[in-house]
Amino acid sequence: MKSNVLLVLLLLPLVCLTACNDTCRETRTFRQFTPVTFTAEQIRNGVKQEAPRSLVNPGKIYTKDGYLLINEVKEGIHLIDNRDPANPRPVAFIRIPGNGDMAIRNNILYADSYMDLVALDISKLTDIKEVNRVQNVFPNGQFEGGWWSFNANTLMLSDQRVNYVTETVETNCEDGMIARQNACPNCMSTDFANRFVSAAPAPNTNGVGGSMARFTLYDTYLYTVGQQDMQLFNIQVPAEPRRGERINLGGGIETIFPYKDKLFIGSTTGMLIYDNTNPAKPVRMSVFQHARVCDPVVVHDNIAYVTLRSGTNCGGNLNQLDVVDIKDLYNPKLLKSYPMQNPHGLGVDFPNLFICEGQSGLKSLDARNALDVKQLEHLAGMNAYDVIPMGAAAGRKQLLMIGKDGLYQYDYTNPQQLQLLSKIAVNRPF
Amino acid sequence: MKPFNKNGWLTGLLFLYFCPASNVEAQAPAFRPTFMNMTEVGLSLGRVTSGSQWAQTTQNRTSFTAQTFNGVRIWPRLAVGGTVGIDWYLASLLMPVSAGVRYDVAVQSKKGVGLFTSLDAGYGLAWLHRDLPNYKTSGGLYVSPGVGLRLGQPGRGNFVLSVAYKRQESAVVKPLDNFYLKRDENRIYNRITFRMGVAF
Repeated sequence: MKSNVLLVLLLLPLVCLTACNDTCRETRTFRQFTPVTFTAEQIRNGVKQEAPRSLVNPGKIYTKDGYLLINEVKEGIHLIDNRDPANPRPVAFIRIPGNGDMAIRNNILYADSYMDLVALDISKLTDIKEVNRVQNVFPNGQFEGGWWSFNANTLMLSDQRVNYVTETVETNCEDGMIARQNACPNCMSTDFANRFVSAAPAPNTNGVGGSMARFTLYDTYLYTVGQQDMQLFNIQVPAEPRRGERINLGGGIETIFPYKDKLFIGSTTGMLIYDNTNPAKPVRMSVFQHARVCDPVVVHDNIAYVTLRSGTNCGGNLNQLDVVDIKDLYNPKLLKSYPMQNPHGLGVDFPNLFICEGQSGLKSLDARNALDVKQLEHLAGMNAYDVIPMGAAAGRKQLLMIGKDGLYQYDYTNPQQLQLLSKIAVNRPF
Repeated sequence: MKPFNKNGWLTGLLFLYFCPASNVEAQAPAFRPTFMNMTEVGLSLGRVTSGSQWAQTTQNRTSFTAQTFNGVRIWPRLAVGGTVGIDWYLASLLMPVSAGVRYDVAVQSKKGVGLFTSLDAGYGLAWLHRDLPNYKTSGGLYVSPGVGLRLGQPGRGNFVLSVAYKRQESAVVKPLDNFYLKRDENRIYNRITFRMGVAF
């Protein structure tokens, strides 16, 4: 009798052990690259206006005169009538093969198309047409981690088509014990209200870009940064961009923004400051080196707000907001650090500071006192990676925020309680 | 009921799941509900097989587990209450909080050995787990049926040895990079636990 019970007790663990396997399954989506080749002619004949379509893989954002431009990575630009931010209306889709960046001077839209810079006349939204093209200015580039390069001799372009693959694999249940270290894409933005004023001497009118921009306008020049260098275009006659100076910057260049008569260029290892007193030939002033983490930056007067983020592809182990005194551009000084969750793009409309926290949403902060930056509101539940505070207009303060799941527009008249005006949803393939 | 009656433990299990009242009450008309505590520590054992179909590896897993059951004997053999524990899995620290029952299948004679069964079901919380940057671990449902031995005098503090199966669910959202756009892991820990402790 007792032996029966003991037998059962002994057998039970053995029976269980056969089933005692931990089961850990990871579902992951990644990019798969397939090489493709185009002729220059195919690309150059590909620019055309099409009917509006839904956002699938949005890239950079740009706005001018109540119109909103959202880049569809490598495909073209969505043009949206945003004069009523509560009710944005898609107007058209401008197909531009290999497009990633844009800038607008007056009625001329500058956009990259793989190796070329294209100038489009957007004065008639029903009839957007190419008016000029500077050929073979960008030798190579990168979209979504896939490189392309153009061979000017054979007039052939080698690119990589991106497919999204989802798979499920069995893991050993141990991931999450070692932090990952990877390369870092840098990202920057600036005080857009100030940049708008300082960068747009009358009578020319420029648009406003997001914090990831590689194109920017200053005086009569369009500045574009590639991976290693900065290419200037003289746009004294906006419809006729002419190739200007080419300045080598070193590797890992990510973003550019002008602030007053300075150019701040973001790279993976630091921030390059160029004196732009002579807009035709910027001169390097200093390099602000930093730890190997992602470091978007915004500037207001003598204060730079730098967010350092770790993890993902940034390396390091920092997630914080650094407030830096840049009175002396040759010798920036850290004033104070504030802990953050996972800060991405940011924007400042002093004293309001907005920080995209990636999967943790958007934060509204009061930056009046550099030594005591206060959090006013934290909006969670969406993915936020880039933001543009537009300043006061039409009785409200409009904020554009783009994330993986859509473009959100807020009214930040009361920065303690942002009011959602509208959302343009993204229809992602993954 | 004699201790270790031939079919006693089987009957007891059936009682536990279907009709724990009936004749037990009848035998103890003067019974009054009493507090019961059972606190145990032990090891949870399991295995995991991972890798692609061409390069699979199997590893053993041993982790520390502790739990305390606090309840009320509503019948002489049955106690119901709550169980709070802690499980140190290799990559996560979970705190299971659940409803629990303990049923004495065979009450020991003086200084004898008694047999009990247990069932805990609830949710494993990840409150105590500290994630690495950009990892987000969340807990999940768990269930743990088991059997055990009580050593000592009935109605007094007993030494307890038990063995139980434990199924614990968990999920992890992992950091992304230029390559991965989404990485979500669902974890199911299937473990056998061996514990020892005290009960009164």
